[in-house]
Order: sequence, then C-alpha cells, then structure tokens
Amino acid sequence: MTPKKALEFKGRMLSLTRARILDPDLAAITAQLQDFARQMPRAAQGMPVVLEAEMAVDLGAVLAAMREVGMQPLGVTDGVLAASARQWGLAVLAPDGPGRTGRSAGTVEPAGAPAARRPTRIVTEPVRSGQQIYAAEGDLVVLSAVSAGAEVVADGCVHVYGALRGRALAGARGDAQARIFCRRFEAELVAVAGVYAVAEQMQSDWRGKPAQVRLADGKLRIEGLDG
Amino acid sequence: MAKIIVVTSGKGGVGKTTTSASFATGLAMRGHKTAVIDFDVGLRNLDLIMGCERRVVFDFVNVIHGEATLRQALIKDKQHDNLFILAASQTRDKDALTADGVGRVLDELAKDFDYIVCDSPAGIEKGAHLAMYYADEALVVTNPEVSSVRDSDRVLGLLASKTRRAETGNGRVKEHLVLTRYNPARVQKGEMLSVDDVREILAIPLLGVIPESPAVLSSSNAGVPVIANKDSDAGRAYEDLVARFLGEPREHRFIAPEKKGLLGRLFGT
Repeated sequence: MTPKKALEFKGRMLSLTRARILDPDLAAITAQLQDFARQMPRAAQGMPVVLEAEMAVDLGAVLAAMREVGMQPLGVTDGVLAASARQWGLAVLAPDGPGRTGRSAGTVEPAGAPAARRPTRIVTEPVRSGQQIYAAEGDLVVLSAVSAGAEVVADGCVHVYGALRGRALAGARGDAQARIFCRRFEAELVAVAGVYAVAEQMQSDWRGKPAQVRLADGKLRIEGLDG
Repeated sequence: MAKIIVVTSGKGGVGKTTTSASFATGLAMRGHKTAVIDFDVGLRNLDLIMGCERRVVFDFVNVIHGEATLRQALIKDKQHDNLFILAASQTRDKDALTADGVGRVLDELAKDFDYIVCDSPAGIEKGAHLAMYYADEALVVTNPEVSSVRDSDRVLGLLASKTRRAETGNGRVKEHLVLTRYNPARVQKGEMLSVDDVREILAIPLLGVIPESPAVLSSSNAGVPVIANKDSDAGRAYEDLVARFLGEPREHRFIAPEKKGLLGRLFGT
C-alpha cells in the first residue's frame, strides 16, 4: 500500500519585484516606500519583493517598513543580506548571473528570477468611472472605452481601442519610452514616466481623434495616429 | 424562479422610484406576479408613489429582523391583484439592512413571485449595494446630463464587480439603460445630451426613453404610477419599456421633438 499523498509539487512562475537598496538610511527607505504606496496603493498591496543590497542594512527594520505599506518581502539575493535573512526566515535566492539567465535543462532553479516583463494585460469590459486598472511591468490593452473618472495605468504602454475619456498613465515606473495610444482622444489627464498634462494644457488638435502620447526631449507630445 | 431586477442610478432624483413603480405595475398589468421593494430605508417614498402609504403596518426591516413575516409586511396593490409592495422603514437607517437578511427575504419572495423589483436608494453605499447585490438584471436610470451619466457609469462598474453574480463568477448582471426626463426640444438646442450621446458614453443597450412630462409629478402626487395614465406620453413610454423588457419589439418614441402644427409655427411657443 502506498502511503497517503499529502503534498503535490507543481511548478509556478511568479513575477517578483526586485528592490535594490541604494542607501541604507532607514528614514529615507521608509519615506520612499510610503511615497510609493501612496502613489500606487494597488501595486504596493501584496507586492512580492526580493531585496538586494551591497551594504549592510538593518534588515528587520526594512522588512517592517515594507510590510507596513502592504508589500510582501519573500527573500533576499545572496550576499551581505543572506545571514540576517535566514534569521528572519526569508529565502536566500541566487543572484542573476550570466549563466543563469537562460533555462538550463536538468537543474532545478529556485523560483524567483524576476521576469523582465509580465504578459500584457487585456481588459475587454469598459473601464467605468471610479475604476482603476494597473498593469505592472507590462502593457495594458483596453478594448472599449475608458470613462471620465476612470484611471488606467501601466508600467509599459497603454492602448485604448475605444474612447479615452479618463486618465491614462504610461511608464508608471519611469519608462520614458512608454506611450499611450487611443482611438479617440478625450483624456482628462495623460502622463508618461511622470510627466503629465491635464485636459486644459493639451493641444486641442487631436481631441476626439485617434492619437498617441509620447515623451520627446522630456516633454509630452500628442500626435495624430492616422489620416 | 423569480427574476430580480434592481432599479439604480447612483445619482438622486433622476427617477428611480418613479421607474420602479411604473415598471413593477407594468409587469403586473401583463399578468406577472410582481413584488417591488423599497431599499431606501430612512427615506421611504415608494409607498407614496404606489399610493399605499396609509396601509403600511410592517416593513422590510421588520421582516429582516424577524419582527414580522413576509406575508404580514407585503402590501397588496388595490388595482392589481398580482402586485405587492414591501415598504422601507422610515424610522431606521441603512445599517438595519444586512446582506444575509436581504438574501433571505429575496429567497422567500422568489418562491412565489415572477419578478422582484428592487428600488435602490441613491449613492453607492450600503443600501444601494445591497439593492443591487442579488440582482439578475439592472435598470440604470439616467438623466440626459453629464453628472447623472457619470454616476451611472460608476454604478455600471459596481454592477460588474460588486454583485453576487460577479463575485461568484456566475455570469453578469444584465444592464438596461433607461433615459428619463428626456426633452427632445432641449436636446435639439444643445442644452441636453442626446440619446446617442448617452448610449455612446455608457455603452449599454437602451431599454426606454421617458420624456419629461408633467404627468409624472401629478401621478406621484396622486399616488398612482404614471404607467396607469394611458393618456400621458410618459405613461405610454413606460408601457413600451415594459413590453421591450419582456421581449416585444417596440419602436422608440418621444425621441424627436414634436412637429409643430401650422398655428404653432405661426405663433411659435
């Protein structure tokens, strides 16, 4: 008789956010975390994080600050943080190296080499007033309209195949190459990599027409898409 | 099994209760056993519009709290034998409603009614949430002006996410647009949004357009749902709406301004 099976092992790809500590100043870290959570509360809530550092930091305090804003620190990258991470019961993950980016057959890798880009998020329903949709680390495609008072945000590009009447923010984590595309441009606010314009400031030539928004020399440009 | 329909809007004063009363009465006139429930606890109005305010003994909150049976609280309409009203409590507030309690009352009603019409309060808080939570279909009542349209848009978002159907992954609430207080002449002058403007923004199927009409106010004051006033344009528009809801194709009326006769054109009003 085979013993009762209590566990089942299955592979799962998980995309993680890498938080690289540049300055061990705890006050600065806490302030930045709170700032991030204020700006993107949905992204921060439950965000799985792997910590990286090259200098010693008070890991316990950083973990507390992250959990305070709703993030879930899962582990650290092997290095100076490894010893204290084990004390806190966190996973220690191998750093990304040249030999580790590809998938080598036969070896079992610890889950967690962060995916460079998540799959595009596709929304088929209209985005209604008051709704907020965030596509982390990737593009966002909305097949119908984004209503006034709704907000669509992506770390990559934002594509709206209906009318864009609400707010659209592309490159939410600073990607200046990100763009916003829409079939009918009636936005309340657009932003790329933090550079924003409200309806009043936008040139009106493309209102109601197919348009794209991109960043050129640090300035937002709104351009027609066809015809 | 009964079909549960919520009449909702987000914004206040757009005609939810008027629509609930006429819609429920219309369903009953066509032979369907119908109950209409006032979810506006603390600000009850449906009983006035239905003309049964002097017969309210027990209300919705009494039933939820087990202080009365459903049979005791349901008020039978005087004109239609298969129409029943469940009034809201005027002395309590929305916190007296509980999801479980509302669910139990609806389950019990569902046993012997064809349609249950839930008249939602304005807003998006507890009362409105519970009114839409168990719905199978929704009439989204909207006036042809921007603030009402935006609030309806918000409510449509909630219907797609904060209802039992959405939460259990059991399909979605079927949405219908009801455009009320529509004045074609003012639309033509550009003072009001047109039917097409509103449809374009909300992107849901249009069930009916109810023209702005003095009959609505006089019917409310008389305690008779306007649908019973067959001579009024609003009454006929509600009748069309009910027919369309039951699958009968009807042309949309009252969308174009009335053509003035020769005298009207000469003396222009």
